[in-house]
Amino acid sequence: MSPRPATAHLRRPEILAAAREVIRERGVNGTRIADVAERVGTSPPAVLYYFESKEELLREALTEVEERFYAELQSELTRIPSARDRLVWLVESTVDSGDYDAVLWIELWPQALRNEELAATREALDRRWRGAIAEIIHEGQQRGEFAGGDPDELARLTASLLDGLLIQVALEDSEVSSARAEELCLAVLERELGCAFRQPVGSLANVPSGGY
Amino acid sequence: MTAVPATARRSAREQILDAAVERIASDGIDGVRIARIAMDARVSTSLVHYHFESREALLAEALEHSFELAGDVRIGEDNGEAPSHAHRLAAMIDQCLPYPGTLERDWLLWVELWLRAARRPELRETAARLYERMHRWFGAAIDAGIAAGEFAETDVGPLVDRTLALLDGFGIRVLIRDPAVPLPWARAEVWRMLAGELGLDEEVPPR
Repeated sequence: MSPRPATAHLRRPEILAAAREVIRERGVNGTRIADVAERVGTSPPAVLYYFESKEELLREALTEVEERFYAELQSELTRIPSARDRLVWLVESTVDSGDYDAVLWIELWPQALRNEELAATREALDRRWRGAIAEIIHEGQQRGEFAGGDPDELARLTASLLDGLLIQVALEDSEVSSARAEELCLAVLERELGCAFRQPVGSLANVPSGGY
Repeated sequence: MTAVPATARRSAREQILDAAVERIASDGIDGVRIARIAMDARVSTSLVHYHFESREALLAEALEHSFELAGDVRIGEDNGEAPSHAHRLAAMIDQCLPYPGTLERDWLLWVELWLRAARRPELRETAARLYERMHRWFGAAIDAGIAAGEFAETDVGPLVDRTLALLDGFGIRVLIRDPAVPLPWARAEVWRMLAGELGLDEEVPPR
């Protein structure tokens, strides 16, 4: 085992950020520990001190992004009183980070196909994600903001729809596609939950005919 | 293997592309080796290099080759044999999900295309072209159902966008064996969304 680097407590987040950058550029298969080490300005042993493999790097790099998202979600939940607005926030923030982070998810999926460890990573991250969606939906139903329907099933539907939309956002790489992805997702949720998501509460008279 | 026109004699070039397609699906785009493709196609590696100026060029063409064939098969199957527009629409959904066999193989290629296209602008054109074909395909089928009075009128463009997004999102999860998304449930959910918009019975027609 390599000796502990002198600046150890500063390095981990930097390594993860560098890993994300390299993976965005080269994909998981094209990424070597040496590439990440070079990017962050350290040596491969220093990286290996923290992460046994690049699979572990990918797992930790994605988990860190997710942790930041859930921390933000928590503070938003205290700020936003209605379930309707919380769900809109969740969809918005997902598609807004879309063209930047979507590439990492698109990299994870085929890896999950061929690598058990990364399959487990994906599943764990996804379960948490769907749980967060289901919780907002359940609460909205309890408050009478949303119509009925199994929250877990609706969360599975929403998460899958967002995955599909994010692929388009990643491929098109433009603001237009992010806005359109948001509209499409909210349109589906309107139908499922019987709630107007696409304009401010109180202007239901101006519900658009469905054109985009 | 995706259906090949019976009258066509496979040229060496096409045989190489056929072999490349199988290898991308089984080994992943980065695991593909020219020597392996040459062996599968029963040609020399120098012949592969003669036909394709680089590994990248071969891979890009192999992806297009597979999707063009699959697209032709799909569009060729629109010969009006379905009992109703609803049945035809359900059959089209089935064509877009990774059922075991050729469809799953096509899906593996589709996923590899996303990988590359997200990082390479030239492959984005390929991806965009294929999406447009799918969009037109579904759009035409829904328009026909509306014109025949079988489907309710609706804004077709966004409905197709939602359908394709759902097929992509569900499809990838089915492909990686996500326990949260069983294939029959995914199929039923895509149908439920379409049925709701088109005024159809929410019960998906049997496969």
